[in-house]
This record gives sequence, structure tokens and C-alpha cells, in this order.
Amino acid sequence: MENVYHYDRYKVCDTLYKVIEQNVTEQVLSWLQQQKARLEEAGSILQFNLTFTAISRQTGKQVISLSPEDAALLAANNIFIQGYTLDRLARVWWLLQFPADDREVYIKTIEGLFDAADMNELAALYGALPLLAWPGAWTARTAEGIRSNIGTVQDAIMLENAYPAEYLQEAAWNQLVMKAIFTEKPIHRIIGLDRRANPQLAAVLSDYAHERWAAGRTVNPQLWRLIGPFIDQTYFADIERVWNSENNIEHEAAALACFASSYAPARELLKKHPGMQDEIARQTITWDTVAARIA
Amino acid sequence: MCCSHELTGKEFQPVSASPAYMERIKGMRFFDPHIHMTSRTTDDYQAMADAGITAIIEPAFWLGQPRTGIDTFRDYFNSLIGWERFRSSQFGIKHYCTIGLNSKEANNEKLAEAVMEILPLFIYKEGVVGVGEIGFDDQTAAEEKYYRAQLELAKEAGLPVQIHTPHRDKKKGTQRSMDIALEHGLDPKMIIVDHNNEETVQEVLDRGFWAAFTIYPFTKMGNERMVEIVKQYGSERIMVNSAADWGISDPLAVPKTAALMHESGIDLNDIHLVTFRNAISAFAQSGQIDEADFESVKDIDQRLKFNGSTVLRGGQQPRIDKQSNIIR
Repeated sequence: MENVYHYDRYKVCDTLYKVIEQNVTEQVLSWLQQQKARLEEAGSILQFNLTFTAISRQTGKQVISLSPEDAALLAANNIFIQGYTLDRLARVWWLLQFPADDREVYIKTIEGLFDAADMNELAALYGALPLLAWPGAWTARTAEGIRSNIGTVQDAIMLENAYPAEYLQEAAWNQLVMKAIFTEKPIHRIIGLDRRANPQLAAVLSDYAHERWAAGRTVNPQLWRLIGPFIDQTYFADIERVWNSENNIEHEAAALACFASSYAPARELLKKHPGMQDEIARQTITWDTVAARIA
Repeated sequence: MCCSHELTGKEFQPVSASPAYMERIKGMRFFDPHIHMTSRTTDDYQAMADAGITAIIEPAFWLGQPRTGIDTFRDYFNSLIGWERFRSSQFGIKHYCTIGLNSKEANNEKLAEAVMEILPLFIYKEGVVGVGEIGFDDQTAAEEKYYRAQLELAKEAGLPVQIHTPHRDKKKGTQRSMDIALEHGLDPKMIIVDHNNEETVQEVLDRGFWAAFTIYPFTKMGNERMVEIVKQYGSERIMVNSAADWGISDPLAVPKTAALMHESGIDLNDIHLVTFRNAISAFAQSGQIDEADFESVKDIDQRLKFNGSTVLRGGQQPRIDKQSNIIR
């Protein structure tokens, strides 16, 4: 039997509400409470839908302020709302108000929101994937979202979202990472990036790098992060090429990839630059510092 | 897809020499309250942004071929509040839409019923500034039925109505559209009567409605005629649009008309009213237009797409050199 929610729903919901409280006027707050009371009394799906849409008109779209304590509490539940706008936060909270006991009704209702969502609503919905009840039910929806061409929607799924790494099958996960690289996302913000690295993804990314080179285009240095753990004789030539790049960021990326590898020639290569090996060991060079230098 | 790391500022400059009329409208901002971007290319978006078009309204319409199922309607409405809105933002143009069942497809009654059922899911969305474009095409009973039903919907939602007036038997169709709207108790101030011409404008204005003019070659208004209209009727409650779509039409019709008005000695304030301000005044009655968004659409998009890359500014997409036969 599947659990309805896979996290401490009450605590998270309370914290989200607390953050909303700190960011909105009394008037908006009482409107949200009113909507909640109406939903609890009548339980109408239409009202649930219309409120979800109407939220932006009530709250506006200011970026929220968030205390470090609340951020930490949410982060402990794998939820990241830094940089959220008020409408998005309130929509996420509203999603948690719909009764989830009846699996079929719940899924149909939430799917209905996806089916008629505007751009901002889509971002709110996909960003809320880790918070939805019946977590196993959203994998196809997530895979569909990865195919979106709307930048904000892609970001909502790919960045600071714990759901994909937790629930997607390998093929869909690889598609997410591949598309994130293709659309130039800051991939260091993908949750579970290293944990879900796999040989199949490494192979696809290596092919992709070769295509870029053949076209005379550059390759995102962060790509080698996903190849590092799988370096063998096939990939080693690529790593050497990147290692020998005049671009220092690429050189660092190659070193980081070698550091993650147990392939003897890669370890040998790294020894050629002991200073850098040392910096990696001391974590003054990390994939995050590489990412920061690209941005 | 482009790779922003490789781009220099050069790629973002317009590459072709500006036509002379662009000089006349330098620094002006335009609002095109009727344009079907779904049917247009990225070249059009770039040209529109270059010409000063800041915001647009895309009315839901007939796609050139009748739809046979409700899902294609749903997907179309979704694209107007999703994909097309995003596409427009990539060029720094704020995109609004009106949602409705067009008159042609109102004649497929079974489908029309289904469309009426899903309209409430869309008309309350952010950036939906009216119910439209609705009204008469062939002036059949079915068209009247769904026109009336949608007027009621607009009234309930407090949204403006964008009325399409027919190509054939236009004058009578326009009168009838206004009569019915009044019969349903709608305030003429909430109604934009579209595709006017010399024969309809007087009555539309006299009865207190907004009069929109579509500058569309061969079948609707030409901009020389439009200049004469503004000379005669002034600028109150008059607005200009392109209604550019899948036919031979011109997405730059609004700026070009502004340029011609300027050349013809029409007062700058009047030009501003008919090519920008009036459309905002009419559709902002929806409560869905915030002019601050005209600017922020540029910055926000830049942040979202390119993560603050220093090269890309103003939500611009990279340019391709149309004169060159090299494609990189």
C-alpha cells in the first residue's frame, strides 16, 4: 500500500503557510483562509481549480523573503522555495489543501490542473511535484514536462526539484539531464545529479560532445562531471583532450572528472598537476566553483 | 538552440538597413490589440520588436481549417496562455490573449457545446484580457446562440468583449452585434467592435462602443484610408490593429500606420492614442494589464532563459544574417 504523502505533510504545510503569512497582507491571508474553508465545506473541484487560477490576482508576484530557519526546515524535507514569487508559493500551498484520500479523484483533479494551466501555473505545478500526494503517480507527467519548450517549465522540473531523481526511470532521467545540458541550464542545481549518473547517460553525453566538436562548437565543461565515474579507454581520449585545453575551466573540469574516476590512466593524468589534485581534495575546486565561473 | 557562451554583442544587432518609415516612429511604443502570432514566424517577432511593438493581444480564432474535436480547442487555448506567451517573451514582447469560440466554428453545434463547457477554465487565467474574438460570420442562428452565450460569460467574468464583424453584409452584421450586446445588458465601454470601415465607424462610435480598425491588405482597411478616418473622427475610442494571421497580412501594420499618420501631419498624441493607449484603456478593464510588465517581460525572460548571461540583453534572441548565405 502506497503512502498518501511521502514526507511530513503537516509540518511542511505549516511552514509554507508561515512563509506566506510573512509575505502577504492581512487581506490576502483572509482570502486564502476563506477559500480553504469553502473547499473544506463544499469540496468542489471547480472551486479548487478557479482558486488555483485566481491566486495570482490576489497575491501579486513579488519574490518572497524566506528566513534561513524556514529554508532549512523545508530543505530537510527536500523542498526548495528560494526565489519563489508569492503567487507560486501560494499555489503550492493551495495544492496541499485538496483531499488526497481518494487516489483516483486526487490524481484526476491535479492532472486537470496541468491540462488547462498557463505558463506560470505550469511552473508552480511542476515545481510542486515533490509535494504531491501519491508520488508514484506523476512519472509520466514529469516525463511529459521535460519535453516542454517553455524555459520556465523546464527550470521548474530540472532545478532544485527532488522529484525526478527520486522517481524517474533511467531513460526519463537521462532525457532530463541531456535536455538540461542542451538548453544550457545550470546543471549543478539538478538534485541527485551525481547519484543518478549512469553509463548510458555518459555514453550519450560523450556522443553529444563529439557532435559539438565536429560542428566547431564548445562543450559545457560540466558535462564531464557525468562521465568522470565511467572513464575507461573509450572516454579517456576525450578527457585528455579537455585536460589539454587552453581554457582553464575545461582543464579543471577534466581534473575533477579524473578525480571521480578509478581508471588508472586517469589517476595518473591527475598526478601531472599535483597542485590541482590538492585543490580538489581540499574542495577549493569543485563542480560548483566550475559552474560559478561559467555563469 | 544557441549557445550563449559563444555569442558576442554583434549577433543582437538588426542586420538589414531600416526602411525610411522607421525613422518616423523612432522611440515610439505600440500595442497591437489583434494579431494571430500562432500563424507567424520568429522573423515577425523580431521585426515587431524592432519597430517598437511592446505588447500584443492574440484573440482566439479560426485556424484556417475547421477543428473536429474538443481536444484541439483545448490545446489551442493552452498554447495561447502557454507556449505562444513564452515565445513572445523571448522577443521582449508582452503577450495577452482573448479566449472565445469564433463565429465560424460556432456552426458545428456539437463541438460548440463542448467548447462552451471548457471556456470557464480559460477565461479567468492571468493575461486573458477579454472574451474574443466572437460575433458573426455567416449570421446563422447557431452563431447568434453562441455569441449570446459568450456575452453572458463575459458579463459574469467582468471581461471586455472583442467582437469580430463579418466580411459579408458587414454593416448589418455590425449593427446586429451591437444590438444584441446591449440587449444582454453589456456596457458599450466594455466592447471592442473590430474590423470597422468607413461605413460602420460612425454608428459604432455614436453608440459608445470602441471602434477597432484592422489594417490588412486587399480585404480590410488600408492605412491611407485609416489616416483619413482619424482626420475625420479623431482619436477617441479608436484603435488600430493588424489582425495578421495565416493570410497575406502585415504584422507591422500598426507601426506603419503610425508612421503614415505622422507623415500626414496627425498630432503625435492622437497617434499615441490610436496605436497604443486606447487599446490598453479598453482591455485593461479586465484588470489583467499591468504596464510594468511591458518592461519586465524583457528582464524576467533574460533571467529565466539565460541565467544572467551578460551577453544577452533585453530578452533578445540572437539574430541571423538574412543577407548571408552562410548559416552557422
